[in-house]
Amino acid sequence: MIRPLAGMARIGLRFQLAYRSDVIMTVLALIAQVFLLRMVWTAVYGGSGQARGLTLDALLAYLSLANLQAFATTPVIPRIAHFRIRTGMVFFDLSRPTGYLSQMAAFQVGHTFGGLLMLAPAVPVVLLVGTITPTAQPLGYVATLSLGYVISVMMSLLICVIGFWTLETGAISLLYRLVSHFFAGTMVPLSFFPGALGVLAEALPFKYMGYVPAAVYVGHLSGGQVGRAVAVEVAWIAALAALLWAVWRRAHRRVVINGG
Amino acid sequence: MAEIARTLRLYWRLQRASMRGALQYRLNTVIGIATGVAYQGSGFAFVWVVMHTFPSLAGWSLKEVAFLYGLRLTAHAFYVLPFSSLFGLEFLVREGELDRVLLRPLNPLVQIIARRLGVGQLGDLLAGLVLLVIAAPPLSPAMIAFCLAAVVGGALVEASFALVLASMSLRTLNGFALWTFVDDLFSRFGSYPMSVFGGATQWVLTFVLPVAFVAYVPASVLLDKTGALNVPALVAYGSPLLGVALFALAYQVWRHQLRHYQSAGN
Amino acid sequence: MIRVESLTKVFRRPHAFSGPFGALRTLVTRRYDERVAVDGVSFEIPEGEIVGYLGPNGAGKSTTVKMLTGILTPTSGRIEVDGRVPWRDREANARAVGVVFGQRSQLWWDLPLIDSLRLVGDLYDVPAARFTGSLRRMCDLLGLDDFLDTPVRQLSLGQRMRGDLAAAMLYDPPILYLDEPTVGLDVLAKQAVREFIVDTNRAGRTTVVLTTHDLADVEALCRRIILIDKGRVLYDGGIDDLVTAYAPPRRLVVELADGETRTFEIAGGTSVPELIAQVAAEHAIRDLSIEEPDLESVIKQIYAESMR
Repeated sequence: MIRPLAGMARIGLRFQLAYRSDVIMTVLALIAQVFLLRMVWTAVYGGSGQARGLTLDALLAYLSLANLQAFATTPVIPRIAHFRIRTGMVFFDLSRPTGYLSQMAAFQVGHTFGGLLMLAPAVPVVLLVGTITPTAQPLGYVATLSLGYVISVMMSLLICVIGFWTLETGAISLLYRLVSHFFAGTMVPLSFFPGALGVLAEALPFKYMGYVPAAVYVGHLSGGQVGRAVAVEVAWIAALAALLWAVWRRAHRRVVINGG
Repeated sequence: MAEIARTLRLYWRLQRASMRGALQYRLNTVIGIATGVAYQGSGFAFVWVVMHTFPSLAGWSLKEVAFLYGLRLTAHAFYVLPFSSLFGLEFLVREGELDRVLLRPLNPLVQIIARRLGVGQLGDLLAGLVLLVIAAPPLSPAMIAFCLAAVVGGALVEASFALVLASMSLRTLNGFALWTFVDDLFSRFGSYPMSVFGGATQWVLTFVLPVAFVAYVPASVLLDKTGALNVPALVAYGSPLLGVALFALAYQVWRHQLRHYQSAGN
Repeated sequence: MIRVESLTKVFRRPHAFSGPFGALRTLVTRRYDERVAVDGVSFEIPEGEIVGYLGPNGAGKSTTVKMLTGILTPTSGRIEVDGRVPWRDREANARAVGVVFGQRSQLWWDLPLIDSLRLVGDLYDVPAARFTGSLRRMCDLLGLDDFLDTPVRQLSLGQRMRGDLAAAMLYDPPILYLDEPTVGLDVLAKQAVREFIVDTNRAGRTTVVLTTHDLADVEALCRRIILIDKGRVLYDGGIDDLVTAYAPPRRLVVELADGETRTFEIAGGTSVPELIAQVAAEHAIRDLSIEEPDLESVIKQIYAESMR
């Protein structure tokens, strides 16, 4: 059970490392993004010390962290799954003794590790640009981030499974990335979202991939808020698991009957 | 003259053929356009959300930034729509398709860019035009003409960088990753008042990688903000010409690389 | 029609470095790797001839053809095609030649065949009236009518190849280059392609240069072949002369009672009945046959000699 999954994770890792020059450019783009955010936010803050309970320094630290997280956890499996469905290679995946979803999840985890390795040289730069200091709530940060990562992988799996119907996931996964990054608060912390947009962002699960852990890190969320966030994350995971299971059963039947 | 007319006619015929081919995948096209709108929309949503709390960005109001954003998006769309097939140049070289291009009696660059119209990029155009129209200040006819020239000039600035980096793949060098990055810099930094970035960065984005000339400089002219520029007002008024000059230069690089391809093979 | 004189192509490229900054080092390096692809090739092809241009993979065939079509510039030597220097006058040369690659189609993948043919007509400035006539002729010769309105991606390989031949000949070029035009085709489709080549050659006095690995094509179409290997011409002349000149020995093939097959060369002056008797004395024979030398064995022998 574990061996094949480890294999899948290894492939995912290698996949990430294979396109080195692309990754170097992505890392540069990440640094550029953090730099841009720093410039824009510094400009709008001007002289004011605080806005929405965040000092400029806390905000910059928040943005750097949220972007690092978003980059490292970028979903790759919808693309892979789409390719394998289109070429019929998905039947190899389905014929293996380990479940398809576990295989895909393992691939994503491997890919994330590859992303973290790639990210290593960028981290000091980003931390410098974002002026990050050690957190007061390391436990809360790790807990919210790990659960957030589980949610992110489950959402990616959901997109993968949708690919069995649409047979076209390129644009959908790009769309997903845009929407998830935006509502994860990688450019603006959720506390700045006005009116209905704020309500929507608070209700969606994307915030657990960026905003919540990063806000815990800089102390914008603290105490009871952290505990509540963890509880809601667990609830989301349970709900997504049920949803995935239901959707996957139908998708699987569809593939077996229609042959992709 | 007759040669130019023939080239344009053939460009149009080839482009129409590729469009008809692409439209068979209608769902892809629609999703592509929607993604374009969403992508650019989410970029602007950032500005909108930030400026909801802070009404001024380096002295620019939300409406002014929206105009700048629209100008850059429109220029970007006018570059991507025709030139998006340059993205596939590496593939054309690897698959030997470039040889086929060289076997035909028509300018190779025209044949290559006629292989695909970036229909998916219509989303960028749509988003750009909407912002431009909503946020435009009252403009005199002369300024409207300047605005059109600025769109074309901005498109040519981006196109010349694309052409130079794409033609690196004629030398079996991978310029693609670098191009993605440069394209990213244009998109990311081009839509903000350059004074946000301050001294050194602003200087680099003006004189090294002329991101500022795609939209910021002409938008400053149109919004009557030339006083805050780091170039003389006269240069700002002439900014659309920069695109023409850069593209002429890029075309020479392309020609040189193509000759190299013909002598070095693949 | 085609004249080539001591044509040489040396590929000289910067040494490719690997590693994280490999691309950058490749860009600025002064280290070069050189490879001679075509080495002093000379030949002349008169109007109306069909010539087989043969050689093993990597012999320099396609490099030569690329220079003949103006895609590549030669390192040294001279080429003249229909009175032009192809690489100097690429567009004019393009109008005078049709090119078919068996492996790659020039047709528009998503469009009906007829649309591709129209586009080719546009690209080569074929006037409407002449286009109609040309198209009619192509349809009759190649039987295109059944699939003119089918998108190219749905065509069978044989149909697609017929479409490609039509596209290459629509503008009546005096010269036709064919690169493996029958690769992957079934027997009937091969036959159709060969007949078309013979017809165009006869009717329009089209000069044809054919590169192929299928010697049956060569035997069916060409009277003259040019054999090259490692960039040099090994043989240039008639097929019949080639077989006589090199005349590898006939061979006696014997199947033994235990199922084993043995081959004996029949050296010049040997009496075949004597040889058979000799073999029969030593082995229990189930069956036997005599193999005449064919083009393939001749060419194999020439390559083998050039290896030494």
